[in-house]
Amino acid sequence: MTYMMLLCLVGLVAGLISVASNPSPFFAALGLVVAAGMGCGVLAGHGGSFLSLVLFLIYLGGMLVVFAYSAALAAEPYPEGWGNRYVAVLVVAYVVSVGVAFWMFRGEWYEFSWVPVNELSEFSVIWGDTGGVALMYSSGSSMLVISVWVLLLTLFVVLELTRGLSRGALRAV
Amino acid sequence: MNPYVLFFLLFGLGLGTTTTFASSHWLLAWMGLEINTLAILPLMTQDHHPRAVEAATKYFLTQATAAAMILFGSTTNAWLTGQWDIQQAIHPLPATMVMLGLALKIGLAPMHSWLPEVLQGLNLTTGLILSTWQKLAPFALLLQFQTTSTSLLIALGLASTLIGGWGGLNQTQLRKILAYSSIAHLGWMALILPFFPSLTLLTLIMYLIMTLSMFLAFKLNKSTNINTLALSWAKTPALTALAPLMLLSLGGLPPLTGFMPKWLILQELTKQELAPAATMAALTALLSLYFYLRLSYAMTLTTSPNNTAGITPWRLPSTQSTLPLAIAATTSLLLLPLTPAMTALLKL
Amino acid sequence: MTPAHFAFSSTFMLGLSGLAFYRTHLLSALICLEGMMLSLFIALSLWALQLDSTSFSAAPMLLLAFSACEASAGLALLVATARTHGTDRLQSLNLLQC
Repeated sequence: MTYMMLLCLVGLVAGLISVASNPSPFFAALGLVVAAGMGCGVLAGHGGSFLSLVLFLIYLGGMLVVFAYSAALAAEPYPEGWGNRYVAVLVVAYVVSVGVAFWMFRGEWYEFSWVPVNELSEFSVIWGDTGGVALMYSSGSSMLVISVWVLLLTLFVVLELTRGLSRGALRAV
Repeated sequence: MNPYVLFFLLFGLGLGTTTTFASSHWLLAWMGLEINTLAILPLMTQDHHPRAVEAATKYFLTQATAAAMILFGSTTNAWLTGQWDIQQAIHPLPATMVMLGLALKIGLAPMHSWLPEVLQGLNLTTGLILSTWQKLAPFALLLQFQTTSTSLLIALGLASTLIGGWGGLNQTQLRKILAYSSIAHLGWMALILPFFPSLTLLTLIMYLIMTLSMFLAFKLNKSTNINTLALSWAKTPALTALAPLMLLSLGGLPPLTGFMPKWLILQELTKQELAPAATMAALTALLSLYFYLRLSYAMTLTTSPNNTAGITPWRLPSTQSTLPLAIAATTSLLLLPLTPAMTALLKL
Repeated sequence: MTPAHFAFSSTFMLGLSGLAFYRTHLLSALICLEGMMLSLFIALSLWALQLDSTSFSAAPMLLLAFSACEASAGLALLVATARTHGTDRLQSLNLLQC
């Protein structure tokens, strides 16, 4: 379990390094996929199975489809991967800086700080996060209303931003 | 834009700021800031020309980054201290992160460079909203949370007053000048924030009134650069007589309203034995005063040769409502005698 | 500082520095922003899970809804920029600097 958690955390950081090192958007989206998957692993390892599922569905099911579409929209003929010299230099720089930060902040990390210790885990039927998300529908209903309202607002924002531009590469038909 | 959509977006602006005002939890405050950012984006791109879209893109990137920094700072605070309240004491490290995020959000000096470009791409009405209403929510957070990093705020404030004066020197575009003036005034507010927060509130109110009157005056003249401003004597003669006073009030000269916050801030800084910082701020205010004076000179003291059609637009009735401008101009000129009442009101 | 705390802090800082230092494409900047939001989601979830705070588990969902709004607004701006400027390179967003 410690090994799996180590793998997931390192994969999370590595995914963000591959996003942050400025490759072409295709590869950056791939890095975000890796980071989201590893984040799911971290959350599942801490017992948040429902939040992990939601993260997986949203990032891989919803958001990355949109990002892949937009990457195809803004495509370029010669994409730069991580093998490109400029990007590789940035990758090395970020890896080194994360390593330095790790060396600075590494405290007394013993084995149990990697995984949560829950001695009641055999006895619980429902994890806390499932019940907590369900609370959003009862006592947190005003927050739910605000979220729904903001999603509606975003619809209008997107429509108003892209409406009425009859110039450039992508025209309204 | 459809009036229903416009109402929806303006409601969103109001809801965002109100959410941030009313929140005691950092997550809710972040939500309010996000609603604010989302709702103003379509207002910015009303005209759909490339400059508006570019301004909206820059604004979105900076505001989203700043909001994420604020939320990350508060999350780190929750990991370190275990509480999410805004009013509670905050760990110094996340306090610095939150402070830098808020500085990016309102445009304090090392993080200021988005503000002139964004304001230059907007029309005057949206620019007015951006430089008045959008400042309220970040300032509600700045005034609520207790920071201990005095030196950071003093550094941000002095850099802002310096950059705000310096950057505006070479500008001919009025919106950029107003943006640099905004940076300078925000620098004064940040300078006094760790010592006397209610004075920051007073300065914010005074700045809002003065910049409201300036934006409304420019909007009445339909002028966005100095050249068109020089024709305002033919459009609105009475306003032309008052506008230099409004500009000098923005610069902070004594018998006018703008002197009140600068006076009180300098007094308070001197009381806190920060005379070098006070001297520095007062000297950088001279830089701002230079371009306010240049605007007044171009506006009132120059009369370009013109034909008859060019000098008689003042005979035509104006379609814009001038009542808000009248109220704003009066308050931005004549509030100095009310200083004791204002300080008594804000100290509570 | 636990390993999980270090991991999400470093991911956020990586996303922030990637956004701040150098971006060729607007889309890369938006993906970096999404990476920052991902690390914030993980941070909020782990805080709720490690403290067994049941009622706080709704907060990551709200964060996810808001970050989805933010991402879609950013992509709409990407489309608008591609229409007005013809490209999504950040270098071409230079009409306003003078």
